[in-house]
Amino acid sequence: MNENDQAHDPRIRELLRQARMAPGLPPRFQEQVWRRIELAEAPVETGSWLDRLANLIMRPRFALPAAAAVLLAGIVAGTLEGRLAARHDAQMNYLASVAPQAGFYASH
Amino acid sequence: MNRTLLLLLGALALGTAMFAGSYVAARHTTMACCAQPDELGWLRVEFHLSDAELARIRALHEGYRPKCAAICAQIAAKKRELDAVLAQGLQGTNGTAGAQVKLNELAALRAQCQAQMLEHFVAVSQAMPPEPGRRYLAAMQQLTLGHHEQLEQTMSDAPGHEHHH
Repeated sequence: MNENDQAHDPRIRELLRQARMAPGLPPRFQEQVWRRIELAEAPVETGSWLDRLANLIMRPRFALPAAAAVLLAGIVAGTLEGRLAARHDAQMNYLASVAPQAGFYASH
Repeated sequence: MNRTLLLLLGALALGTAMFAGSYVAARHTTMACCAQPDELGWLRVEFHLSDAELARIRALHEGYRPKCAAICAQIAAKKRELDAVLAQGLQGTNGTAGAQVKLNELAALRAQCQAQMLEHFVAVSQAMPPEPGRRYLAAMQQLTLGHHEQLEQTMSDAPGHEHHH
């Protein structure tokens, strides 16, 4: 068996792989990688506060929370307004039955 | 179109869509869950009335409706009489005097209607527990007489509509 054949032997390859020392990652490696990516992606901060806000929101860390906040705000506001409208409808329905000019009152 | 504008428009569209969807859903759900066979449903929900309280109020309500309808019919008839006088024209003393009489009669009927309405509101409030009763009476006065007073106030504040006494 020559040297080339030995290199293709799976057992020898596994032994070689295990014998190779992998250098340990420095502390907080992943966090530093993400910070570098964000810094690289962040444009030079020029323009209005609106542009800066948009840039901030477009970063991966803030995009999802910002979208969730918009969704939540819409749902909460819509639900509250819908319930108020239903309550107002019911109130006007009652008023129309006891006050002859309920339609007039409701429209003012 | 820059990215900021697109982002803002997208957020606005998303928020609006969520608002509209939630509004429709909440309105329908509230109306469906709290719907009553008649117009007294609002009273039950708003003032947390028991079945017994609602039954007492229902009796008052049913008693009041025909009286209310009768006076409304009288008001409508008096308005037609006033319209007829106005259609004949207001020239001369007889024209304005005739209109004045009809206006006075109409005002008297409206006052009678309001008094009857207030009497009903008081009776209904007394059929409720004290705190909800007070709240009901205040709300009804605000919604009926209060609005009328606001309208008068608005008219008296309008430029060129001052009443000098």
